[in-house]
Amino acid sequence: MTGEDIFRKFKKLIPKESFFSRLDSLAKKYRLFGPVNIKNQTAFREIHTSKELFMEYKSTMLSPGKLFIFRPKEELFRFHKNEGIKIEELPPVSEQQIIIGVHPCDTNAILYLDRTFMGIYKDPYYEARRKNTMIISLNCTNVSPNCFCSSVGSGPFLKAEKGYDMLLTDFGDRYLMEIKSKRAEELFNMKGKKAGKEEMEIKRDIENSVLEAFTKTIAVEGLDELFLRNMDHPVWQHTAEERCLSCSNCVLVCPTCFCYDLIDESSMDMKMTRRIRQLDACQDMRFAEVYGGNFRQRRAARLRQFVTHKLNQTVQYGVYGTVGCGRCITWCPTGIDLTEMAIEIRRSEKDM
Amino acid sequence: MKKPRLGFFKYSCCAGCEFQVMYFQKHVLETLKNFEFIFARMLLRGGNPHGPFDIALVEGTITEAWQADELKKIREKSTLLFAIGSCAVDGGIPAIKSTMPELDVESKVYADITTIHSIRPHAIDAYIKVDGYIRGCPPGERDLAEALSSVLSDKKPDFINYSVCVECKLKGNVCVLVAYGMPCMGPVTNAGCGALCPSMNRACYACFGPMKQANGPALARKFKMMGLSKEDIKRRFTEFGADTLEFRRALDILED
Ligand code: SF4
Ligand code: SF4
Ligand code: SF4
Ligand code: SF4
Repeated sequence: MTGEDIFRKFKKLIPKESFFSRLDSLAKKYRLFGPVNIKNQTAFREIHTSKELFMEYKSTMLSPGKLFIFRPKEELFRFHKNEGIKIEELPPVSEQQIIIGVHPCDTNAILYLDRTFMGIYKDPYYEARRKNTMIISLNCTNVSPNCFCSSVGSGPFLKAEKGYDMLLTDFGDRYLMEIKSKRAEELFNMKGKKAGKEEMEIKRDIENSVLEAFTKTIAVEGLDELFLRNMDHPVWQHTAEERCLSCSNCVLVCPTCFCYDLIDESSMDMKMTRRIRQLDACQDMRFAEVYGGNFRQRRAARLRQFVTHKLNQTVQYGVYGTVGCGRCITWCPTGIDLTEMAIEIRRSEKDM
Repeated sequence: MKKPRLGFFKYSCCAGCEFQVMYFQKHVLETLKNFEFIFARMLLRGGNPHGPFDIALVEGTITEAWQADELKKIREKSTLLFAIGSCAVDGGIPAIKSTMPELDVESKVYADITTIHSIRPHAIDAYIKVDGYIRGCPPGERDLAEALSSVLSDKKPDFINYSVCVECKLKGNVCVLVAYGMPCMGPVTNAGCGALCPSMNRACYACFGPMKQANGPALARKFKMMGLSKEDIKRRFTEFGADTLEFRRALDILED
């Protein structure tokens, strides 16, 4: 984890140009990733110059945390079979990288993944990349119709104080730069106007106007109990039957879904096997399969699993499973909306 | 170790699967080295069709009665039998004709049908029990390698069962259905191709056939809402899945 070291928490107004040229000067030592425009869409990609960046983006299909820290698919190690079995460890990732322009929802999603992969059990692959990754967060000023981070406390402005390296707020031709870690302090010790009370007030004004742009909201209080009382509510069945394709897009684009599958692939001469980890999805029939099959044979039960894991289960980590990024709604081929399902259940209780 | 005895059988299809196994896939040399080929029409111009076989690979749709009879005999002589390719797995392209009455199809193609003894097309598992499905048109390399290496190591093969969307997302493709409104069959199609078509910025046309958990009607409804014509939707669900319940069910929503 980052941000634990002692450092000077400076806040400055930095001209955008100087910020970008500083990034360019870091390109030799660090791999840089950030939002870029591709065919009317924005996606996080590796960049070679800051000119490729599109910082005014709204949302991306895949989140930076699940692309560059927790990888969608990776080879973990190999084993070789001759007389005995020999394990070949693959060299741990040592590359230093910087992710630029991470929205608050996605920053919170990384903090959520930390709870899974760097909690009681440490995942060495995740941990190595997490430590070698600098996160430059960017407060969000471009709300999409499916965003509801403001309802779950994960956006549009970032409230978390640690776990990332820098927070940017768009001030027109300048960024308000808030330093959150020692390494960011060292790398971005740049000239700029020191930001004080006045700037913080402007920041709050921007936040308030962004808050007005939200069209999707959900009342989160009592959701845990609401779902528990309604495990057999008809909404699960009719949504699953009429619209859910069990295609797993929702889970794969979700920045906090952390389930994975382990797959062994052997060479034809049986001498070498690769162990591969890739994202798994609870919408899939084979998910968590045991002898006799998946416990959730019904499509409705699998859909309910996703929705309730995201909207209730604050018991798991004390925070919601969702960060309100709206990706699962946007990228579901039939537009299934978890907030609408919760609202439908709530409404039916009121009608009773 | 004795090499497993392999038989490769072909029914109504283009023989592309056998070509894929013998000539084009990544592991051609290892395949030829590790298996003893007992029967294969393309590679050996035949061979010994009587077996016994440790592993039989069967491609093609069953469209004539003699094929069904022969297939049953092969099953009895084979320890393991895999369906390979969409024709054998799901009925594939030859099963398109099951959307029309037999006589209509036959008279469309042949001037004189007295020599034609065609029957309703079916995947091979309509006639015999199958130990596994190597899907695709042509078969996906990953599942093919998994099947062959599992035979060699005597384990149960772990075939891919999820949707094309999973592979598509793992690759990081922008979704052509959601972002560009293309009628992509990926959400109901079994993966294994590496999301080939969406990676080339075009819609999947379901050549790997339906995944087991597919919700055909829900996707057909979505296509209808996107403005696709009934005929177009029907074509998409019957090009490779005309003989499958998962895709046939999708046509029900076109009635109303
Ligand atoms: S993306 Fe939509 S259709 Fe696909 S599994 Fe998720 S909820 Fe179902
Ligand atoms: S559940 Fe949906 S809205 Fe919530 S974090 Fe996941 S993708 Fe975003
Ligand atoms: S492009 Fe097609 S296969 Fe890929 S995610 Fe979208 S619907 Fe699924
Ligand atoms: S994307 Fe669909 S049509 Fe294209 S190769 Fe894969 S399964 Fe076949």
